[in-house]
Amino acid sequence: MDSERIFGLLVAQIRDTVPDLETHPIARGDVLADLGVDSMERSEIILAALEEIGLKVPMVDLHGPRNIGELADLLAAKSGG
Amino acid sequence: MDIAITGIGVGCGAGHGKPAFRHALFDAPDLFGVLRREGRESPADTPPFLGVEMPDPPDILPPRQARTASFSARAALSSLAEVWDQAGLDAVAPERIGLIVGGTNLMAREQALALRAYSDRLVYVPPRHGHMFLDTDICGLCTAAFAIRGFARTVGAASASGAVAIISATEALRAGAVDACIVIGAMQDPGAHDLQALRAMGAMGAPHFADSPGRACRPMDRDHDGFLYGEACAALVLQRSGDVDDGAILGRLLGAGQVADGTRGPEPCSAAQVQAAERALAEAGLTAADIDYVSGHATGTPAGDATEIETYRSLGLGHARINATKSITGHPLSAAGVVEVAAVLMQMAEGRLHPTRNLETPLDPDFGWVGPGGATHAINHALKFSFGFGGISTALIIGAP
Repeated sequence: MDSERIFGLLVAQIRDTVPDLETHPIARGDVLADLGVDSMERSEIILAALEEIGLKVPMVDLHGPRNIGELADLLAAKSGG
Repeated sequence: MDIAITGIGVGCGAGHGKPAFRHALFDAPDLFGVLRREGRESPADTPPFLGVEMPDPPDILPPRQARTASFSARAALSSLAEVWDQAGLDAVAPERIGLIVGGTNLMAREQALALRAYSDRLVYVPPRHGHMFLDTDICGLCTAAFAIRGFARTVGAASASGAVAIISATEALRAGAVDACIVIGAMQDPGAHDLQALRAMGAMGAPHFADSPGRACRPMDRDHDGFLYGEACAALVLQRSGDVDDGAILGRLLGAGQVADGTRGPEPCSAAQVQAAERALAEAGLTAADIDYVSGHATGTPAGDATEIETYRSLGLGHARINATKSITGHPLSAAGVVEVAAVLMQMAEGRLHPTRNLETPLDPDFGWVGPGGATHAINHALKFSFGFGGISTALIIGAP
């Protein structure tokens, strides 16, 4: 799955998990923590996205990205897409 | 030193808040029916489970927290919001407020549903389930939403959990640990596995009234054949009497007793029940002759009701009026003790006793049962029994304000 589609999935999960962000614009350069997403919510968002993509990756392998765009790129790479 | 109760919050099959509970108690509408909440389906080719389910609690939490809060937690928060305002807890320093949640395995139905939903994709279990499977998740949600910074914990004593939570709160207040202690009898949310086990054990009814749910719950009646589960939740605020204005006091906890029967299962023990009552009376400086009203544990199981009547007889409670709140609410398991103390206080305030639904032919006519019609009565000293599986017998003495 390509990075753009995964970014869309992540944004949908972010809005689902943190209803306060429902209408807030979210860009690839945004950082989850700066949007007010706490660490438990971050795990929920990523795990839900992993399931949608069909990826099985340990959470510890997903700690590098500095923003949502980089997270989408990393997930895209892991999904071979 | 006696302990004052300064707030009541409650939810039951009739709705959330004291007005709905007052209507349930004194009008005694039929709240019973087939249990329909997801995860409570009876096994194929067996009659459905009967009982009482409550309407959705009002939204207290913001959507961000509410979306992962259990049903039991949302019911707890509704009752907590109600007591918080009534007892004026905004005026108490947060670090001087404690919270004790009575009950264990409170969210079993939702856990069973999650287990089912993720059985073939375990790797995607939401991380948050790592704290949601603990009963203390309710403590976390309550203290995150309200300024409670003294302590927060759960205590378990099966169907006596609510009563034991009240006893624990009085201990914390007497020790000076906090100035106000909130007690929540949390809503027990059993799933089909638990309900079927209770049915198989012979504790839960009601094979004889499968077609007429409204007649099935019959505590202390000759035609009783088991308890019926009922969703309910309640909260109380306890404070040292000397710390509050007399006008704010809804009732006084004068004495308490808890005895370990020395048994593992559901079998009741009259000797332990009597001893619990004697301890509570001794602490209150009263005798059985001073008790004018008994709020029975009175679930409607044949063994439980018979044993409890033996206890009344041994204590010499023939002069007292007695009713069974579970005939109206169903048996809320963990929440029972707190819900029923709330009922005692509301009857005290109203000067009348709620009906015992379906009490048509009392097991022993020599007691002062309050039948289906209710009664006018000014309560001075109430005796409240709560018993739990695992040999837990408790008694509380509650005095008028």
